Amino acid sequence: MSGTNNIEDALSSYIIGRDTVKPNRPRFHIDAGNLKSAIALLKQCLGDEALYLSNIIGVDKVAEGVIELNYFIHVVPLGNTIVIRVTVPRDKPQVSSLIDVIPGALSGECEAYDLLGVEFIGNRYLRRGFFVPVDVASRGVFPLRKDAKV
Amino acid sequence: MENGMVEKATSIIKIPVTLEIPIGPQHPALHEPVLLKIYADGEEVVGVEIGTGYNHRGIEKLLENNTFYKGKFIASRVCGICNAVHENCFVRAVEYLVGMKPSPRAEYLRVLVMELERLHSHMLINAIMAEIIGFDTLFMYIMRDRELVMKAKEIVAGNRVSADFHMFNGVRRDIDDVKRDKLIDLLRRVEPRLKYYRKLFEDDPTISKRLTEIGVLKAKDVTSYGMLGPVLRGSGIKSDARAEDRYDAYNEIPFNVVVRGEGDSLARMLVRWDEALESLEMCKYILEHLPSGPAAVDERKLPRTFPAGESFARVEAPRGELTYYIQHAGGNKPYRVKVRTPSLNNIINSGFSYLGHSVADVPVILVSYDPCISCMERAIIVDLKNKVEKRATLREIAMKEVRL
Repeated sequence: MSGTNNIEDALSSYIIGRDTVKPNRPRFHIDAGNLKSAIALLKQCLGDEALYLSNIIGVDKVAEGVIELNYFIHVVPLGNTIVIRVTVPRDKPQVSSLIDVIPGALSGECEAYDLLGVEFIGNRYLRRGFFVPVDVASRGVFPLRKDAKV
Repeated sequence: MENGMVEKATSIIKIPVTLEIPIGPQHPALHEPVLLKIYADGEEVVGVEIGTGYNHRGIEKLLENNTFYKGKFIASRVCGICNAVHENCFVRAVEYLVGMKPSPRAEYLRVLVMELERLHSHMLINAIMAEIIGFDTLFMYIMRDRELVMKAKEIVAGNRVSADFHMFNGVRRDIDDVKRDKLIDLLRRVEPRLKYYRKLFEDDPTISKRLTEIGVLKAKDVTSYGMLGPVLRGSGIKSDARAEDRYDAYNEIPFNVVVRGEGDSLARMLVRWDEALESLEMCKYILEHLPSGPAAVDERKLPRTFPAGESFARVEAPRGELTYYIQHAGGNKPYRVKVRTPSLNNIINSGFSYLGHSVADVPVILVSYDPCISCMERAIIVDLKNKVEKRATLREIAMKEVRL
């Protein structure tokens, strides 16, 4: 259960779109509300030692009014990284935290909160000033938002 | 206590005295600023908070505001020790967007610089570990021999630390036969020293007693907490971006992925020594099998704008998987660049691994993760009137460039 097709089959009930990040990273689009259950299912199917969460990458898409979150998950037996993509509204960027499914989500969620303002529901370690200098954080600015002046 | 009888206690309430010990952000055991706030019950660590943000320089925002060509030089300045892997990862992410493929000679030279970097980085952290556990002379010996590798890097790239060697579609410098012979000679001098240090770390009873069974990480823990590189491989997980992605010339150069199953601090240090020996063999192979043809590119002929798209490049940095993600909407500047260094995962997610150990083991465990946190000293100025905080460098305050 480690081929890309098998992973796609396992997540088929959640997938609403598919594309590829160059050079060869398969990306599955799912609804933000299903994120936690999809990742939990993936972990259950692959096993604890077969994957790690490599990245949580947020992109502020101002024109579309959303923040895109790409979860890069490295599948060790596959030797490749797959991507789970969700979007959250820019004016209320909230999504479930993965910290109780994958504790390694801590660093990525804390960073995405501090720099982009995405709130990960259930992560009690989120705080401003995790990376951002105090003068920027104290003004309520999220520096990686496209309209932020820093 | 009635009728002169003393009631025997059936239970006691034990209130542990927890001591809060800040290690860092400036501390002899740390070479870069990070804060480990340790909560200790006696000598036992019962809680750890990891404080960051002492040197965040806004590199990602800077990359978004500059052209790809300036970005290449910014990326190589994210880290001093592993600058070549940063520029390699950024350059390859851009090459994936465009569909560029460097010449075979350029790909071999890229790997040469990156493996020299791994060699001196692994020597550095083993030297620091020697210093942390009280072997200052060993630290100096390793650092002396590391200079041979720095010299080799200087011969290839022109600088002993910051290589600035990569360019889109190739490299910026080539080597001739004279340089190749000098490099082979330097590597031959380093080889017996590496073998000696590797044997020393494994056989010396004082070193192994200090590192064995300290900071043990199970395979399940390293994957759950997203730990990378020698930390991952020291706990039995065979994952290495060089073997998985086979980027540049890694599909042609023979090497072994080093894995150990013990999961303790000694295993992580021995993985690094073995990887250093593998890197040495790879460098020798490259110099003996360097393809002919062009390597350095004419930068004036490269495109100034790049097509829209998304790419995700991985590189096996000395500390583990380093990734660059680029989202590009067209033009000469990227829309979004995300840099994820291995230390982000290895240090921030590592709090659990100190629990149950003694306070004296904390520096050993931390150094075994090979933390890399680039430095910039700052101070916080609080404007009480307007209730606003801002940061400034100590130099700016001293030179009265900041209004207090």
